[in-house]
Amino acid sequence: MKYFIYRLASAIPLIFGVCFLSFLIMQLAPGDPTLMYMDPSVSMEDLAQVKQNLGLDQPLLIQFFYWLKELFRGNLGYSYVTGKPVLQAIFERLPATLLLSISSLVIILLITFPLGIICGYKKDTWIDDSITIFSFLGLSIPTFWLGLIFILFFSIQLNIFPTSGFLDPLLYNASFFDKACNILKHMFLPLLTIIIGGIAGLIRYNRFSMIKILAQDFITSARARGLSEKRILFKHALKNALLPIITILGLDLPSLISGSFIIEYIFSWPGMGQLGVQAVFQRDYPILMATILFSSFLIIIGNFLADLSYAYADPRISKASNETHDT
Amino acid sequence: MSPLIPRKILLMILSGLFLISCQSSTPSKTVNNDLMFLHLGGEPTYLNPILSTDAPSSSVESLIFSGLFRTNSKLELEPDLLDFYTVTPSGTHYTFKLKENIRWHDGAPFSAHDVKFTFDKIMDKTTNTVRRSNFIIDGTPVQFNVIDDLTIEAILPKPFAPFLIRMAMGILPKHLLEMENINTTSFNRAPIGTGPYKFSAWESAQFIRLERNSHYHFGPPNVKNIIMKIIPDSNTALLALEKGEVDESGIPAKDFKRYSNSKYVDIYRYYDLVYTYLGFNLKKPLFSDQKVRQAIAHAINKDAIVNGVLKDFGISAHIPSSPVLWSYPENTSIPIFQFDPLKASQLLKEAGFTLNPKTNILEKNSAPFSFKIITNKGNKNREKTAQIIQRMLANVGIDVKIQLLEWSSFIKIVNANQSPKNYDAVILGWSLGLDPDGFSIWHSSQYPNGFNFIGYKNENVDRLLERGRTTVNSDKRKKIYQKIYQDIAMDVPYLFLYFPETLLGINKRVHGLSNAGPAGLMNPIENVYLVE
Repeated sequence: MKYFIYRLASAIPLIFGVCFLSFLIMQLAPGDPTLMYMDPSVSMEDLAQVKQNLGLDQPLLIQFFYWLKELFRGNLGYSYVTGKPVLQAIFERLPATLLLSISSLVIILLITFPLGIICGYKKDTWIDDSITIFSFLGLSIPTFWLGLIFILFFSIQLNIFPTSGFLDPLLYNASFFDKACNILKHMFLPLLTIIIGGIAGLIRYNRFSMIKILAQDFITSARARGLSEKRILFKHALKNALLPIITILGLDLPSLISGSFIIEYIFSWPGMGQLGVQAVFQRDYPILMATILFSSFLIIIGNFLADLSYAYADPRISKASNETHDT
Repeated sequence: MSPLIPRKILLMILSGLFLISCQSSTPSKTVNNDLMFLHLGGEPTYLNPILSTDAPSSSVESLIFSGLFRTNSKLELEPDLLDFYTVTPSGTHYTFKLKENIRWHDGAPFSAHDVKFTFDKIMDKTTNTVRRSNFIIDGTPVQFNVIDDLTIEAILPKPFAPFLIRMAMGILPKHLLEMENINTTSFNRAPIGTGPYKFSAWESAQFIRLERNSHYHFGPPNVKNIIMKIIPDSNTALLALEKGEVDESGIPAKDFKRYSNSKYVDIYRYYDLVYTYLGFNLKKPLFSDQKVRQAIAHAINKDAIVNGVLKDFGISAHIPSSPVLWSYPENTSIPIFQFDPLKASQLLKEAGFTLNPKTNILEKNSAPFSFKIITNKGNKNREKTAQIIQRMLANVGIDVKIQLLEWSSFIKIVNANQSPKNYDAVILGWSLGLDPDGFSIWHSSQYPNGFNFIGYKNENVDRLLERGRTTVNSDKRKKIYQKIYQDIAMDVPYLFLYFPETLLGINKRVHGLSNAGPAGLMNPIENVYLVE
C-alpha cells in the first residue's frame, strides 16, 4: 500500500513536468489557431483581436500558469476551434476509441499469443516461417489501402457491412441490443484492418520471448529431469514468457485512448485519433494539453500495472522490491 | 464423448443466432422516402454563422439560418428575410423592411431586434469572430438602428458596394443569446434559426440530423428529414455514394469515368469560384522586372497543367475573376501570354540573362536564375503543378526548386509582418466571393501585414480598387474591374494558372435540382424532392 501511494505521489511532479514540456514544445511549432484563417475577407485586425481574446498574446509562462490554475479548479478549458468544453469534446470521442482499441487488443492477444508460442517452439520450421511471412504481409500493407479495399469488397461487392460510421443514424432511439448489433457491424471492417496490421509485432515479441526462455538452464534441467514437453511448455516456459509481453502491454495503455487516425479517418470512426490529429493541425492547445495529460497519466498507470503484473508472474520481483524497501 | 463438444455446438448455435439477429435488425436504407443523406467532409466547428469559417459548418448553417438576402443559382442576391430595401442616392443609408410573420424554430417571432443583435454581436470585441472588419468601412463601423419591429436601417460612413452581400449573413435569435457567452454557448451546437430546416441532433464526428421547418417563409421543404453524414475521407464518401448511404458526394477527376455511366448516380460539373496561381515575391530583385515575369508566363503551358493536374476538368486562368461571375470582362482587351518558349527566351535575354552552356541555366551578373517555389504539403494538385512548372522553366534555363511545407509553417512565412518576406514564389489558391472587390489582395496598403503578401504595388490599380468598392452601380463597377484586370494581367504579379471544375455525384433519386453552379445544385433546398 505504502509502495502504491509512493508511486502515485511521485507521479504528480512527473505529470506536471510532462505537461510543461509539452506546452513549450507545442508553442515552438509555427502558427496558432488564428493562422488557419487564410481568407481575403478576414482582416489582420480581426485575427489579432481573436488572438487577444484567446490569451494567445500573453507570454508563454503566463499562458501555462493560467492553464494550470484552471486545471486545479477542474476546468480543462474550451476548444479554441469549436468553443466546446474540452472534457465534453474528449468524452464524446472516448467510448468509440476504447471500444475499438480494447476489442482489437484482446483479439490481437488471443491470436498472437498462441501463434507466437508456436513460432518460438517450432523455431525455423515451415510453421514458423509461414506464420512469420503472413503476419509480416499484414504489417507491410498500408492501412489506408487495406481499409479501402475492405470497404470495396465487403461493403460494395458483398454488401454485408456498411462503408463507414459508428451507428446507423436511424437507430439512435432503438433498443440496446439493436444498437449493439449495429455498432458491431460498423466495427467489423476497422477491427479487421487493425488486427491484420497489428498481429505481426506481438507475434515476433512472443516468439522471441519463447525462444529465449526455452534456451535457459532451468528448461534444460527440466528436460533432463524427464518432464514432458507439454509440462515444460505450459508449466515452466509460458509464465516466464509473459514478462516482456506485460511490459509492452503496460506501455501500450495510452494508445488505447489515443486511437488510430488513419483507421478513424477512413472508416469515419468518431474517435480520439481524429480529434487529436485535427487538434495538432489546428493548434487547438486546450484539446492537445488535455490529451497529453490523460496520456501521461495512463503511461504512469500502465507502468504501475505492469509492475504489479510482473510481481504476479515472477514472485522474485515482488520479493526483491520488498527487500529494497525494507533496507 | 468429451464434455467440450456440446459446449462447442452450443457456442456455434449462439453465434449463429447472434449473427441472424444482427442481420434482421438492420434497417433498410431506402425505405424512407422522406429522408435525404448529405455528405459533410469534416466535423463542423460552430453552428453559428458569425463564428464559423469552415465549409462543413457553412453547409449546415445554410439550411438552419437565413440572412436578409440569399444567393440564387444564378449567383444573384435575392431577398430572404427581407421584404424590400431602399437606399438613398448617396448610397450610405439603407432601410431594410423585413417580411412579416416569420418565426424562429422555437416559435418566437423574428424581428429587426434580432438583426441588430446579430451585427452588434459581430462588432463586440469579445466575440471571437473574424467577420468584424466586414462591417467596418475606412475605420468606421456600420451603424444599425431599429426603426420598428420590422424595419432596420444601416448607416454607412461612405458608399460600399460589397455591403449588401455581407447582409446575407445568417441572423441569430436575440431572445436565446443575449444572456449567453456567444463563444462557448451550447447554442453553437444546437442552434435555432429561421431557415428551411430545424436542428434535431448532432452526434460528434458522425452526423447532424435536421427536420424540415413547416413554417418556413418560402413554404415547407419537400424533404422531411436530412441527415448530414460526416465522412472525412473522400474515397470512403465516394463508396458511400455508390452504396446509397449518402445521396451526394464530390467525385475526383480520376473516378469520373467509373461513375459516368452509373445506374444510380448522376454527375454534375461546374467551375468553382477558386483559382490557383503562382505568386512572385515582387520585393525580391529577381522578380522586380515585369519582363522576367512575362517571360515566365510565356514559358508555362497552362493547358498542359490543366491536362496533367486536373485531367482536363478545368480551364486556364488569366485574371483574378471567374467566367461565371457577373463582373468577368467580356471584351478581349485582357493581355494573354500564350505558351511561347521562344518569346520567353527573347524576353529573358532583353532582361539581361544569358545562358551558361555548362550548367544550362540562365545567368545575370554571374548569378544563376534560380528560385524556390513553396506550397503547402498535402495538396496534391499544387504539388503536381509545382513539378510541371519546374520542368517547363528548366526548358528555358530557369532552375526551380520546390519546398513543401506544413500549412502553419507555410502561412507563417507568407503572412510574416516583414518586408521582404522570406520566400521567392508561392503556389496557392484563392476563393472568389460573389463581389469582385479584391482590395485585400491587390491594394498596396495590404502589404506586408495583409493578404497582398507578394508586395504588389500599382498606383492606378490602388485608385481603381478604391473606386470599385465605393461605386454602387453594377455597370460602372464592371468597367472599373475590367481596367483593374487589364493592369494586373499586364503586370503578371501572379501567374494565374487554372480554375478547377467541381464534379458532384448525386443519387438519381434526388430531383428538383437547380443548374449546376457554385451556389449549389440544391438551391433552393425547398424545391428538392426524392423519387424512389
